[in-house]
Amino acid sequence: MNMQMLVNGVLLGGLYALMGLGFSLQWGISGIVNLSYGAMVILGCYISLECYSLLHLSPFISIIISGAILYALGALIYRTVLQRIVRGGIVFTLILTYAVRLIIENGLLRVWSADYRTISLSYAGDNFQFAGTVVPLVKSLVFVVVTLLVYVTYCFMLKTKTGKGIQAVALDREGAEAVGISVEKMYLINFALGTALAGIAGSLWASVYAFSPDSMNMIAGKVFVIAIIGGLGNIWGAAAGGLLLGLAETVGATLIGSQWQEVIGMAIMVIVLVWRPYGLMGKKFFG
Amino acid sequence: MESNNVVLEIKSLCKSFGALKAVDNVSFDVKKGEILGLIGPNGSGKTTITNVVTGSLRKTSGTVIFEGTDTDTMKPYQIAQKGLTRTFQVVKPLVGMTVEENVLVGSLFGRDNREIDMASATKRAREIMDLVGLYGKKDSLVSDVTLPDLKKTELARALAMEPKVLFLDEVMGGLNLVEVEETSVLVKKLSRERGLTIVFIEHIMKVVMSITDRIIVLHHGRKISEGTPQEIFNDPMVIEAYLGKRYAKEVNNGR
Amino acid sequence: MAESKEGVWSNMVRSKKLTGVLLLTALAFLVLLPRFVSGYEVRVITNIFMYAVIAQGINLMSGYMGYLPFGNAMFFGTGAYITAIGMNKGLSFFLAAPLAALVAILFSVVFGFVLLRLRGHYFSIATIGLSAALLGVVQNSTITGGAMGTTLPLLTLSPSATNAFFYFGMLALMVFSSLVLYLVVKSRFGFGIRSIKANEEAAVSMGINTTYHKVVTWAISALFTSLAGALYAYWMSFIAPAEVFDIMIGVDCIVIMLLGGTGTILGPIAGAFVYEFVAQSVWSALPNYHLGVLGILIIVILLFVPKGIFSGIGDFARRRQMKLLRKAGT
Repeated sequence: MNMQMLVNGVLLGGLYALMGLGFSLQWGISGIVNLSYGAMVILGCYISLECYSLLHLSPFISIIISGAILYALGALIYRTVLQRIVRGGIVFTLILTYAVRLIIENGLLRVWSADYRTISLSYAGDNFQFAGTVVPLVKSLVFVVVTLLVYVTYCFMLKTKTGKGIQAVALDREGAEAVGISVEKMYLINFALGTALAGIAGSLWASVYAFSPDSMNMIAGKVFVIAIIGGLGNIWGAAAGGLLLGLAETVGATLIGSQWQEVIGMAIMVIVLVWRPYGLMGKKFFG
Repeated sequence: MESNNVVLEIKSLCKSFGALKAVDNVSFDVKKGEILGLIGPNGSGKTTITNVVTGSLRKTSGTVIFEGTDTDTMKPYQIAQKGLTRTFQVVKPLVGMTVEENVLVGSLFGRDNREIDMASATKRAREIMDLVGLYGKKDSLVSDVTLPDLKKTELARALAMEPKVLFLDEVMGGLNLVEVEETSVLVKKLSRERGLTIVFIEHIMKVVMSITDRIIVLHHGRKISEGTPQEIFNDPMVIEAYLGKRYAKEVNNGR
Repeated sequence: MAESKEGVWSNMVRSKKLTGVLLLTALAFLVLLPRFVSGYEVRVITNIFMYAVIAQGINLMSGYMGYLPFGNAMFFGTGAYITAIGMNKGLSFFLAAPLAALVAILFSVVFGFVLLRLRGHYFSIATIGLSAALLGVVQNSTITGGAMGTTLPLLTLSPSATNAFFYFGMLALMVFSSLVLYLVVKSRFGFGIRSIKANEEAAVSMGINTTYHKVVTWAISALFTSLAGALYAYWMSFIAPAEVFDIMIGVDCIVIMLLGGTGTILGPIAGAFVYEFVAQSVWSALPNYHLGVLGILIIVILLFVPKGIFSGIGDFARRRQMKLLRKAGT
């Protein structure tokens, strides 16, 4: 593996890290395997697409808008649909979140059709040199933003009152309740935060890659892998998982060809599940 | 070395959870047909020993020999089928099934029951439920039944497996005085009339003293005493472990 | 008047003979049905039977044992593809299909030993991953014809005879799978399965070899599902990976199972009929919204009738029974 592959892999992995983070938090903390997560990422893509074409907003700015919209959407979905079913078992959460995905998918298809879209930024083709490699400008901006956001999420979880409340609920539900923390509120905020991260990741994705409603499958697959490798609910784990996946895909594409990417990703996930169900990072929240 | 009277040998058993030694070099024998009490303060290792012996936890070191066979290579379900069973301190009923179905599972999968047909299994299950006093509730779902009845169901389930050695883990927990008395009578009956070997883990001293033949005392994962109820009652180390140094002094002064 | 009606109903549910008679009547009805409906309708009902079979496979695993194989479509796809490959190599359908089932069973045993150690949660996810991986492999292999799919030899009969062949084939499969399910559940093995769902740790302590039970159960599930896939492939004469390994098959059948009532024998069958009925009426009314409507439907069903049709009836009958016992002063 040479430097160029490394750089490409890391840039890709960073974006994956942010994508996987929201999903991992939702699963790790409230036990909700959100099968609509991929749909939410893609929704973020389309929000930024419209912001760009209608309002000429750069996706790096419209992440605020997509984040806000997806946060509200997540809160709504949790409150109306998921709240009652959270303790209903895996069957319910899987099917219900899948139902949400179907609704979003249908909406996207109706409004934007199945065609692939892109956001063509004026500086899309720009790149700079680094240690003998070619680094695309947009991707590095994405990487910077991603790093910031992961760090901000970390700070939120560990340093703010709400974040600590969420941690408390994740570690000991009854204990948290006993000290007066509103468990439902924490689950709600956590879920909405997850969808917000999905939306932001989508906006960033849109700045670099083409997308269509069909892409949600591929994204859903990836976030699974990332969450499982990194350990559910583990922020740095998601980061590591994302980077690992980005690198694995980049290297794999060169060595084996890109059509096997999906298979390899899935195989890795199953292997990690079987070998170390708590992820490569072990069972630690937020650590 | 091996007395044909001994049905279960525990030799130098150790179980550690990381740095914590939950069971520290414990050895004792269980004689056939006896009621062996296993007592000690909370956290002394009683349940951990039960878990290790029955196979649901892997031991760190030591040997467990059941009826002359080393259980090291046996899977938990095999140990159960060989005749070493237990009840759980926190009951684990088969949720969603009735009381009768719970006991039936015991009689279907317990010792030597591989070829058993449903009719005889049901018959045996009903006999056990009768013995234990559950017959009236047999069609109730376990989710609809009181804790004492859940305890009885758990006991019946274990008995339906026709065990040779039964670990009763705090089977009295949550019972009132009358129920404690009834259960004591039942446990004694199981031992005397059916020749069942029982390892009796319990906190209620009155019961332990009255029904056990011998007692093993644990403290911080170690065996600190072994003997008849009388011997244990007067053992200063036991008194200190359970009741504290001051009381031990009082008891000694009172003598 | 209402009292006695309910009494009759709960008695009916408990009376085996009466249930048996009802079932045979229903079966006779289904056997005679093709004479009275159009070819299109025959094919629709054949499809219902197929979904019922797959749902029974999931029902056995999830409803009775508590392990949800979200990715069970992998057996459907395996059944379809091995049949296709076999028939393309000259085997008759009646050899290729059992072969396909054998391969699927083999997969379930091999993967099962590994995956069934995982707790329910993770097992479900792993099956999704496995199914996706298998899809990828099939898409990228030449023997399967790649992503474009593959054809199968045609059944050379008249259209109505062809319809009948697959109608009765799927019907037989549906009856077979339901019957097997019934026999399994009533047996000692079935008690083992149900104990695993009820409390796996307790099940182990009672001498149940849970690994054996789990693997065999998944193998039975794979048997049903792969046979459905085999027949489907022959029926369609053309299959593509994305279609037969589609995760939606699992989703649809899980919804069918939930609709009809998990952990009941007839639930998946009832669920399949209801689901198709809703699909037909809704899809035709709103062709561009069928994903969204399906989604809304699922949410509505799960929030308001979470136990499904037959479970609801079973519960009701049981509660009725308890009430009567209590009144009698037990």
